[in-house]
Amino acid sequence: MSVTILLQLVENGLVLGAMYGLIAVGYTMVYGVIQLINFAHGEIFMLGGFGALTVYAWIPGVAHLPLLAALPLMLIGGVAVSVLAAVGAERLAYRPLRTAPRLAPLITAIGLSLALQQVVSLWYRLPGGVNAKGPVSFPSFSGKAYDLGGVLIQPADVFTLAAAAVCLAGLMWFVERTRGGRAIQATAQDPETARLMGIDTDRMIVLSFAIGAALAAVAAITQGLRYGQISFDMGFVAGLKAFTAAVLGGIGNVRESMLGGIVLGLVEELSSGVLAHFHTTAQYGEAWADVWAFVLLILVLLVRPQGLLGERVADRA
Amino acid sequence: MNKTSYAETAARGIRRVLGSVDPRAAKALIAAGSLGAAGSTLLAWTWTTAFPGDLAVYGYPGGNQLITLALSILTLLALGSALGTSGLTGTRWLVPRGRVRLLRGLALANLASTGYVLIAIAWELGGSANLVAGGWIAGLTVLLPVVGAYSLPKDDRPPTPPRPAPRPVQTGVIFLVVLLGLLVADFGISTGYAEEFIGFCLAAGFAGRGLAASGVFERFSALTATNRPATACACLTAAVLFAFLQTSDAYTTVADNILIFATVALGLNIVVGLAGLLDVGYVAFLGVGAYTAALVSGTAASRFSSVVLPFWAQAVIGVLVAVVAGLIIGAPTLRLRGDYLAIVTLGFGEIFRITMNNLDGQSGPQITNGPEGIYGIPDLRIFGYDFGQTHIILGHAFGRFANYYLLLVAVTALVVFIFSRVNDSRIGRAWAAIREDETAAEAMGVHGYRFKLLAFGLGAGLAGLAGLAGLAGLAGLAGLAGTIQGHLTSTVTPDQYTFSASAPPNSAFLLAAVVLGGMGTVSGPLLGAALLYLIPYKLQFFADKQLLLFGLALVVMMRLRPEGLIADRRRRAELHVQQSRPAEEKTARSSALRRTGSSGWGSRTVRRRGASSRG
Repeated sequence: MSVTILLQLVENGLVLGAMYGLIAVGYTMVYGVIQLINFAHGEIFMLGGFGALTVYAWIPGVAHLPLLAALPLMLIGGVAVSVLAAVGAERLAYRPLRTAPRLAPLITAIGLSLALQQVVSLWYRLPGGVNAKGPVSFPSFSGKAYDLGGVLIQPADVFTLAAAAVCLAGLMWFVERTRGGRAIQATAQDPETARLMGIDTDRMIVLSFAIGAALAAVAAITQGLRYGQISFDMGFVAGLKAFTAAVLGGIGNVRESMLGGIVLGLVEELSSGVLAHFHTTAQYGEAWADVWAFVLLILVLLVRPQGLLGERVADRA
Repeated sequence: MNKTSYAETAARGIRRVLGSVDPRAAKALIAAGSLGAAGSTLLAWTWTTAFPGDLAVYGYPGGNQLITLALSILTLLALGSALGTSGLTGTRWLVPRGRVRLLRGLALANLASTGYVLIAIAWELGGSANLVAGGWIAGLTVLLPVVGAYSLPKDDRPPTPPRPAPRPVQTGVIFLVVLLGLLVADFGISTGYAEEFIGFCLAAGFAGRGLAASGVFERFSALTATNRPATACACLTAAVLFAFLQTSDAYTTVADNILIFATVALGLNIVVGLAGLLDVGYVAFLGVGAYTAALVSGTAASRFSSVVLPFWAQAVIGVLVAVVAGLIIGAPTLRLRGDYLAIVTLGFGEIFRITMNNLDGQSGPQITNGPEGIYGIPDLRIFGYDFGQTHIILGHAFGRFANYYLLLVAVTALVVFIFSRVNDSRIGRAWAAIREDETAAEAMGVHGYRFKLLAFGLGAGLAGLAGLAGLAGLAGLAGLAGTIQGHLTSTVTPDQYTFSASAPPNSAFLLAAVVLGGMGTVSGPLLGAALLYLIPYKLQFFADKQLLLFGLALVVMMRLRPEGLIADRRRRAELHVQQSRPAEEKTARSSALRRTGSSGWGSRTVRRRGASSRG
């Protein structure tokens, strides 16, 4: 196995991991403040993709713009839809159950996840009446890949990495340096005391949902750009893997979740790449890629349930 | 003045008018209305046969008219028991919480069901001109009992314990009620068209509410609680009788499917309802059982086609492999917070599907034929009884689906037996303690991890068993199309066992069935599975929206009625500590939990914070 192939696998893994990390942050934010695994987060991610596609396909003229000019509009559309869905879910489904037994919000989340998938699959339409029961095509960059000493870097990869870096930096700045971010941290540490200190904890919870949803929408757009298509059920596997990433890094911890995403992306790409290399049939690698992620999840839970770096309670957000 | 106060004024006005009606006049209204409605079912309701169900004939009732007739007769019977100043003596023990609530429920049921059909006729045929005299009479007469029942003063009172009746009488009552239930269920399953099914659901729903409010169910469940063997006999008899009531395979197939899904949902209920562990990949264990059994069933498509094991050996191996899978998944995760279990089981469901797809010789070793699945699984043969052949028993022909129906009844009975025995034992009490407060339970010496693992393994094993039995039923699904070509194939494919497959049993369906029916109960998952299977089956509108239906069912139930349609007796006791009987107070929960408004499962008042989740 040549070094170039290995480096290519690492590059793929990094890009994939950055996307997982962006979604994982959503699980972590919500888990940090209310200790709920928001099963519907995968669907929030999916809705972000469809929000962006809606802007692209339905607003006249956007499709004729160069993609780089259309992207900001698509980002706004995707983020708006995701945030709206997440905040709506929090208000209508989760908040009334905050004092209920823990199984109740979990079951609600699973139900929401199913319902959101089905709503898109049944009723989403593209211009011309194309439905979303199967994958629908998403605009992608037309430019050629950059060749870096044999390692091919797609334009979408550059966008993904840049977006992940910007989002993470922005989030870290917000969480650690602003009053709002510190209020979220306080809510995560001790909601009762935070409320006594004059923090509107309900608003902080909504804010956490919204931030997670916004990053998920960005991730969905990067996924659309990379693969040239999105589908109503893409949130299921992506959500599972992002959760794995969050656990891997130590759930409840923003920076480590991102790191967990990157580790997971690398493991996935390298394991399937190496397997494909040493085996005669090419399918061996790709077909099992999803399995490794879950095997890794179970191993982590077995050996190191607090995450790779362990939990640092103080800076949990 | 805003909207709500208008509504309040109107409601107050209506209440005043209704309150001023003389009780005797009210009873007369109910009687006249019910008699009129019953009579109208002998007339035609519409002039054309364009509306299904023989509603255009004179002389006898058909389709929806049968529901109206039955409800009218029931209303008259309930009214009969309420005649006189304090009601007919001797009938009070039947309706411990008051007859008027029952009358209101029945009258509303009749109004809803009959009114719905009349509106449906007018709507579908394009105008109320399509209703003929009989229809108008029915529409007006079903209104009268509602007015009458709501103007009667409530005769609520706290329930009194019944006078003890002799054992044979009790047994007789149980048999009678169960057989009545069989007739109702049979009617529901064999409804011929969508409007009839909706009318049936409306009628059953409102009448059920009335029966529950008047305490009839309470009385009956108290009766069954002291007569367990008789109840079991009655239910088994009714289940077997159902097969004798069927003349064709059409509805036996439906019953087969309902039984499989109900059995699996019951297994899931042990894990979710009793132990409070959320398992969202349950159907994968069903798949493990089914695949294992298929591999050793001797079909030519199996990798190990030379291995042909008898049914009991298939069952043992299928259950064992499923249990092992359950332990592998459960052992690492059950030490952690419950949320992890949910996501790991979800992941396991996905791994199972991918793995079965990949073991096709292309992407992995050839074991399962990949997406094609293992097909041609031979029909079961137990003690020389070939399930594929038609047998004549007591003059009734039992075809393939009826044979499997009988087997499934036996499997369901076994699962119900295990469920209730475990629930009433030390293990069941340990589970109740763990799901309410694991920390407290451990302080009391309950080994939390061990009991949780036991629940998980038991659940997986039962799923494996059901998977084996399910082979037959899934063959039924495939067989429905297959019979047309005169060729029945029995197949297992990976896509049958996913979280959200296009057809049940998927994990979403199972979870929704348990939650809708009632966690921790025996009859809850049975009812839930029947409803969730029948609604998409009978109503074309829901055929492609069933997953949406399951999802919404989960969300709505959690908001409005988290204990499910049928609430567990122990749970109810936990929620109402003061009213519970001494025997149930042992399991009653602390008042702190009542304050949180919880429904009693899986709760933890003192939530341990953070992800330092060992324990």
